[in-house]
Amino acid sequence: MGVGPSAKETSLHHIRDPLLDLISADVDIDLLGIILFGSSDKFSEKILASTRAAIWAQGMRADGAVVFCEGSGNNHVDFANLLNQLGKRNIAAAGLTVMGKNGQPVVNNDYMGDVIDICKSSGSVEPCLLGQNNLAVTDCRKALAMLKLKMRKADRERGN
Amino acid sequence: MADKNIDLGRLVIRAFNIKAVTWGDDNIVMPSGEMTISKKVLPDIISDMDAVESVDMRLIQPDEHDQFTNTILDIIPISTKALGAIGEGITHTLTGVCAMITAVDTDGKQCHEFGSTEGNLKEKVIFDRPGTPASGDVIISFDVILKSGMGQERKGPYQAHLICDRFLQIFREQMKGFDGKLCTERSEFHNIARPGKKRVVIIREVAGQGAMYDMQLFPHEPSGVEGGRSIIDMGNMPVFVTPNEYRDGILHSMQ
Repeated sequence: MGVGPSAKETSLHHIRDPLLDLISADVDIDLLGIILFGSSDKFSEKILASTRAAIWAQGMRADGAVVFCEGSGNNHVDFANLLNQLGKRNIAAAGLTVMGKNGQPVVNNDYMGDVIDICKSSGSVEPCLLGQNNLAVTDCRKALAMLKLKMRKADRERGN
Repeated sequence: MADKNIDLGRLVIRAFNIKAVTWGDDNIVMPSGEMTISKKVLPDIISDMDAVESVDMRLIQPDEHDQFTNTILDIIPISTKALGAIGEGITHTLTGVCAMITAVDTDGKQCHEFGSTEGNLKEKVIFDRPGTPASGDVIISFDVILKSGMGQERKGPYQAHLICDRFLQIFREQMKGFDGKLCTERSEFHNIARPGKKRVVIIREVAGQGAMYDMQLFPHEPSGVEGGRSIIDMGNMPVFVTPNEYRDGILHSMQ
């Protein structure tokens, strides 16, 4: 498992990324920037890189994170760990990835419920259509709305 | 009450709309929207590439999508820095045209791992998505034949991407000198800090596992390859980029 043609993001996608456009335009959000890390083929490196990303976000004093994982299968090992590490640090997070219709994630934890499935194909197999299961504006709006709710809830719990 | 916004940097993108792409004697692009393509530089471009058997090019006009294609590695915008580094200054980009890379090896094995897009182009691409060509775009397709088995080794797809990058550099050098006043569209992007608002970071997990699972970061040119570093070679460890660096093409998807 990995990144299929329907989910892979082309170089063109990155310069027109709807997630960045949406969040950077939101006047209620102070966008700190983008952290990128690679999904290794080694378990120990998956855990290391995703944990370092969460520690970096904490160092930035982030209130929240929108986490996107390209692909599925073993890529969700890093993704799940990242969500877990963010959660442990009280950083609200909303996840976006391809899952659900193509089978449940290979790993799970307390924070995997806050993930939006961006899969748009109807079958249970990789459709091999370039662009089909890419991030769309609607997916990004859902994630940002979810994140805002979680950050508000965290504020309430802290008594702010 | 929230503090005042702080502008951390500006990026200007000038788009030049290309109206016609045709075959010609030389590779020339004009700010007025004419572009000619010639294959004669291809042998030179691949002369030092040991994983590449041959390369051909196709010009795919908007009404010519009904044709066979090998699996698609990437769709690439044609952009260059006219001033400053990626994420700041001025970028010149072409609209109405984009580059595409396809690859197969001499044994007929498509360069893919988790699903191939080989087949009829019009059925294999969902057009008009952020990552795919607009249905009215002209596609400059680089059809790479790799040596046997090289589609599954890192240097195979890397060299396929490099062919496209070296070819596009010919146009980028011309685009740097375009008169900005002739652009068809001008966009301005600012990295804005909004003190007092909710602090949010975007975290992206990208591919980092090998041949078709790689990401080139920090190239010399927007969405380029040359000068970049592979996220695999950087141990897949997190890196930080600004919003303007990201939208200016500091990433090249090596898939």
